[in-house]
Amino acid sequence: MRRLFALLWLLVVVLAAGYLGWRTLHGLAFRTDLMALLPREEQNPALQKANDTVARALSQKLVFLVGHPDRAQARAAAAEVSRRLSQSSLAEVTTGGFGKDQMRQMGAAYFPYRQGLLSDGDRQRLLDGKAEEVGMRALSQVFGFVGTTDARLLRSDPFLLLPSFFTNLPLPLSRLNLDEGMLSLSENGVTWVMISARLTGEPYALDVQKRLIAKLDLEGLSKATPQLQVLKLGAVFFAEAGARQALDESSLISLLSILGTILVVLAAYRALSPLWLSLLVIGTGVGTALAASLWLFGELHVGALLFGVSLIGVAVDYSLQYCTEIFAAPASPADRLRRVFAGIGIGTTTTVIGYLTLFLAPFPGLHQIAAFSAVGLVASWLTVVLWLPALDRARRPKHGASMLAWAAGFMDFWQGKRRVALLIVLALLGLAGAFRLHADDDVRRMQSLSPPLVAEQENIQRLIGSTGGSQFFLVDGPDDETALRREEALVERLRPLVAAKALGGLQAPAQYVPSAARQAENRKLVRERLAPLMAGQMQQLGLTDIPPQPDPDQPPLTLDKALQPDGPMGFLSVLVLEPGLHVVSLDAVARPAEVTAAADGLEGVRFVDPAGQFSALLGKYRQRALALLAVSALLMAPILIWRYGLRSGGQVLLPPLLAVLLAPALRALVGSAFSFFDAMALVLVLSIGVDYAVFCAETTKDRKAVTMLAVVLAAGTALLSFGLLALSGVHAVQSFGATMLLGIFLAFLLAPMARR
Amino acid sequence: MLRKFAVLLLCLLPLSAQAAGPEGGLQAGQVLRGRFVQERHLQGFNAPLRSEGRFVLAVGKGLIWRAEKPFAVTTAISPAGLAQEVSGNETMRLPASRLPFLSRLYDMLGGALGGNWLALEHDFTVVKSGEAKSWRVVLTPRNGPDPMSMPFASITAKGSRFVDGVRISKPDGDYDELSFLDQTLSNDPMSPEESASLQ
Repeated sequence: MRRLFALLWLLVVVLAAGYLGWRTLHGLAFRTDLMALLPREEQNPALQKANDTVARALSQKLVFLVGHPDRAQARAAAAEVSRRLSQSSLAEVTTGGFGKDQMRQMGAAYFPYRQGLLSDGDRQRLLDGKAEEVGMRALSQVFGFVGTTDARLLRSDPFLLLPSFFTNLPLPLSRLNLDEGMLSLSENGVTWVMISARLTGEPYALDVQKRLIAKLDLEGLSKATPQLQVLKLGAVFFAEAGARQALDESSLISLLSILGTILVVLAAYRALSPLWLSLLVIGTGVGTALAASLWLFGELHVGALLFGVSLIGVAVDYSLQYCTEIFAAPASPADRLRRVFAGIGIGTTTTVIGYLTLFLAPFPGLHQIAAFSAVGLVASWLTVVLWLPALDRARRPKHGASMLAWAAGFMDFWQGKRRVALLIVLALLGLAGAFRLHADDDVRRMQSLSPPLVAEQENIQRLIGSTGGSQFFLVDGPDDETALRREEALVERLRPLVAAKALGGLQAPAQYVPSAARQAENRKLVRERLAPLMAGQMQQLGLTDIPPQPDPDQPPLTLDKALQPDGPMGFLSVLVLEPGLHVVSLDAVARPAEVTAAADGLEGVRFVDPAGQFSALLGKYRQRALALLAVSALLMAPILIWRYGLRSGGQVLLPPLLAVLLAPALRALVGSAFSFFDAMALVLVLSIGVDYAVFCAETTKDRKAVTMLAVVLAAGTALLSFGLLALSGVHAVQSFGATMLLGIFLAFLLAPMARR
Repeated sequence: MLRKFAVLLLCLLPLSAQAAGPEGGLQAGQVLRGRFVQERHLQGFNAPLRSEGRFVLAVGKGLIWRAEKPFAVTTAISPAGLAQEVSGNETMRLPASRLPFLSRLYDMLGGALGGNWLALEHDFTVVKSGEAKSWRVVLTPRNGPDPMSMPFASITAKGSRFVDGVRISKPDGDYDELSFLDQTLSNDPMSPEESASLQ
C-alpha cells in the first residue's frame, strides 16, 4: 500500500518536474510590480478607472535627455536613441508631440471660436473694466521690439486675443525649444535634446524590461561617444532595477540559505544521508510548488518567489524531525517514522492552515505565496512520509551525546525556576516595546527605488521642468459641460497656489476648451467691453476694414469637437476619461494640504493621491492581516484541542501566541514601525511556532532530547532562510524578514512550554 | 514667436560687432546707444506700422528697446529673460526658463562678438559684400523659412562703422525695415535706471 502511494507520488513529482522543465524552456514569466502583490482598489469604479488611466499613462511614459557640449553630436545621439526605440518595436517615439504642425493645427481649430477664448489675463482686464489695457497689450506686441505678429492674424484679430489665449495654454515642456525638428535646450554649454516615447509593452514584465534595455544599450552609446550624457526616466527602468535587485537578492538569499542549511545538517549528523534526504525533501517541495504555481497562475511574481524560496526553511523541518530520530532508541526506519508521524502530520496541517489563511487576503501576489507554500509543504511532507523510510540506510551515530545533553538541558530549563525570570524579563521588554508600537503604511517607503535612477529623474525634471506627478483632481459631473464648469472653479482656486509655489502647475481640459457658459460670458465681455474700442484700435493700427468677425451666435467649441480622433488636441484624451469624468493633472505638489483644500466645497471635485490611497489601503490591510492572524489561530485551535484536550491544547498554542505578541513589541523597542508586511510575517510566525510547540508536545520523556534537537535544527534552518530576508534592500522584505527572525527565535525559545 | 526676437538680436549684435572693425569688435562693458526707426510693412494695412525710439545695447548685459512713438513701450531683454512694459505697467514678462533659446543665443553671441561667424553660419548662409566703410550682409536661413523658429525669407543688413539698416523679409511678402541713427559707443557704465531694467 505504502509502496503504491510512494510510486504514485513519484509519478506526480516526475510530472511536475517535466512541466517545470517545459515551462522553463519556453521562458518563465515573472511579474515585478509591487502593486500586483497588493490589493485592488475596491471602492468607486470611476476612481479606479481614473487611477488606472493616470497610472497607465505615467507608467508607459519614457523620457530621454541626450546631452553633449557639441550640438551636432547631441543631435546625432538623440537620433540614434530614437532609431533604437522605434526598432525595438517595444515603444513608439512621441517626440515632437508639440511640433509646429500640431501648433498650427491647434491654432486653426481655435480660430473660429476666438471670441469665446480669452486668456486669464485678458479676461481679468475686461472684468476689471480695463478694456483699454487689452488694446494696449496688443499694440505693444505690434509696435514693441520687432513686433511678432502675422499680418493676416492681426487684421482678423486686432486685439490679438487668440495669440494671448494660445501662449497662456499650459502646454507641456515649456523649457524646451524646437530646434530644427528636435526639442532642445542648452544649459552651461551643454545641448540637451529630448526624446519622449510611449512604451507599448507592459513595463512590469521582465522580458519587456530586458529587451528594451538591451535594444537601447544606452551604456554602449555613452561609451562610444565621449562626454555624452544620457538621462532616462520611466517606470520600466525603475521596475527593471527593482526586479534585478530582487532577483539578485533572492538568488543570494536562497544560496546562503541552502549553504547554511547544509552546514547545519552536516554539523549535526556528521553523515551525508540526512543531508541528501533533506535536499530531496526541499527539492520536491520547491519544485512541485513552482510547477503548481505556474500551472495555477500562468506566471509568478518575483515577490512570491522571494517569499516562497524561504519555504526551504520550513520544508526541511519535517525531514529533520525524522532524521533526528536516529539519535533515539534504535528502530527500523518505518518505526522511526511512526514515532514522529503524528508530530509532523499535525505540524504540516497547522502550518498549511496558517499559509492558506493568506488566501483570505484579496492580494493576488499573496495568493501565489499561499499556493506556493501550501503545495510545497504538503509535497515535502509526502516525501518525508512516503519516501524517506524507504531510502534511509543510516546507522545509529556514535556522536551526539553532548548535543542531546544540551538539548535536554534546554528542555529542562522550562521545568526550572529560572524560566520565571526569563518570562518576567520578556514581559517587561514586551511591555516597554508595546508603548513604542506605531504603524507606518507609507507605500513610498516600502518600495526602494534605485538611487541613480532617482537622481536621473530629478536631473530631467530640473532640466525640462516638471514631468507630471501622480497626484490629480478627479472632476465628476453629469456631463462634460458641468465638469468643465467645476474645473473652471477649481482652476480659479489653484491659480494663486501656483503663484505661491504650493503647486508647480496644472493641466485641465477646461483650460483648452472652456465651458460653453464661460465661452458665452467671454463673448459677452468682448462684445460689451472690447467692441466699442475696435474703431480706435483699427485707427491706431492703420486698418480701414477687417474681415468679418465670427458670428456671435454660433455654437461654442465643445470637447467633442476638440477631441476629434487624429485631431491636434488628442493629448486631451488622457484628461477626459469619459463624458463628465475629467482629470486635472498636477505637477510638483509642494504643499499637499493647501492643494487638497482647494477642492473644499466644490461639488464633484476630489483630490486623488494614488500613493496616499495605497498607503491607506496598506493600513487597512495591516489590520486585516491581524484579523487573519486571529482567524488562523482559531482554525488551529480545534485540531490542537482534539489532539491534546482543552488545557494542553491551549498550552501548545501559548508559545507561538507569545512569540506573535512579543516580536512586534521588541521590534518597536528599537524604533521600527509596524507595517502590513510585519503583520504578514506574524501569520507565518504563528504557523511555524505551532509546529515547534506541537513537536515538543508530542515528545515523550525518553525522546525529549531528540525532539528538542530536531526543533533546534529546525529553528536554526528557518532563521537562516527567513532571517536572511532581513538583509534585503527592499524595505518591505526587510521588515518581513526582521519580524520573522525575531518571531521564529521567540517561538523556538518558548516552544518547550508546550511540553505536557 | 519670441524666437524671432532672439534671431534678430542675434543678427544685430554680431553685425555691429563685425562692423566695429579691425579693432576687434565690441568689448565687454561697452555700451552702444542710438535711435531707431522701425517700419513694418504689412499687407492689407494702409500704411506701414511705424515706431521710433532709442535703444541701449550693453555687451554682456542685454538690450533695452524703448519705443517712444506712437506710444511708449519698453522691451528689455537680458540673460534673465524678457520684459515689456507700457507706461510703467508690465504687459509681459517671460523668464529665461521660458526662453531657452536665449541661453543658446548668449553662447553664440560670445563667439560672434569676437568676430566668430560660425555660430551664425550654422543657421544661415552668410553672403558679405562691399568693404569696411560700406558693407552689406545677406542672411538666408539654411533650411528655408519656418513659421515657428525661423519666420524669415531673408535678412539684409547694411552699415559702415555700425549697422545702419536691417530689412527682414517674411515669406508672405511682408517686411520690416529698421534704421539705426546717431549711434555712439561708450565705455561708461549704464545709468542706474538702465541697469535696473535689465535686472
